[in-house]
Amino acid sequence: MHDQESTGRRSFLRAAVVALAALSLSGRDLLGAATGPGDDMPDAAKKVLRERFGTRPIKDGHVSLDLPEVAPDSREVPVFIETDLPMDAERYVKAIHLIVDHNPDIYVAGFELTPALGKASIDTRIKMRRSSQVRAIVETSAGELWWAHKLVYTTLNGCV
Amino acid sequence: MTTAATPLTGDARILLPPAIQKDAVIYVRALVAHPMYTGMSRDEKGALIPEYYIKTVDITYGGHRVARFEWTSGISRDPYVAFPLRASHEGPLQVAWTDTKGRVYTQTAAISFAG
Repeated sequence: MHDQESTGRRSFLRAAVVALAALSLSGRDLLGAATGPGDDMPDAAKKVLRERFGTRPIKDGHVSLDLPEVAPDSREVPVFIETDLPMDAERYVKAIHLIVDHNPDIYVAGFELTPALGKASIDTRIKMRRSSQVRAIVETSAGELWWAHKLVYTTLNGCV
Repeated sequence: MTTAATPLTGDARILLPPAIQKDAVIYVRALVAHPMYTGMSRDEKGALIPEYYIKTVDITYGGHRVARFEWTSGISRDPYVAFPLRASHEGPLQVAWTDTKGRVYTQTAAISFAG
């Protein structure tokens, strides 16, 4: 009796998971190539991007963003941003921008860099109000924009 | 005397690797003690603590600016940042943190080559 019940529950759960996966897959198919990391951005965060970068395209790639999946202390979330883009006198990374979609201040920090650094990376610690996408945008001297994003789960409001 | 700033506010530190080779890219770690108030937290009497945070960080090497950071109160209390630097010459590396009250905290470390 008990066994049967738990088997039933398990197969229901399995069916639900399969259905959810199918839903998300079909959703992705419907949106096709238009699906990008910015699609789930809240309007306020999109506005920040528009104000900073206008209509310049932001492309995936060249940025590695290292963050915990679950932040044990949302007052101090370690962030490490790195890029493989060149850092010489002709072509260099002129800025790294850090955005947290659901923070009161969405644009958390901007780091202006110069070729004298020899490489482009930033290691720091940020506050997070709640679970959110964190985005790192790398801006090159040629005006190109590259980004990476990561969803970070938090347990408490760290904006103190 | 300002309210609620810790006695250590402005205590600043630059950490460099122990031995630096000419032209190597080193990682510089910089720390400053600062409360980084968002304006959303309250004191023990329940009153809102006004926002107060480090707004800009200027980094110069041998007198030339090599980086500049623009921060908000979304950077954690007692801000920590690490960044690369090509040790192209011997000279002073200076970090200057400026907060929203216009106070500037500076720290200098000497870049000198091993051997």
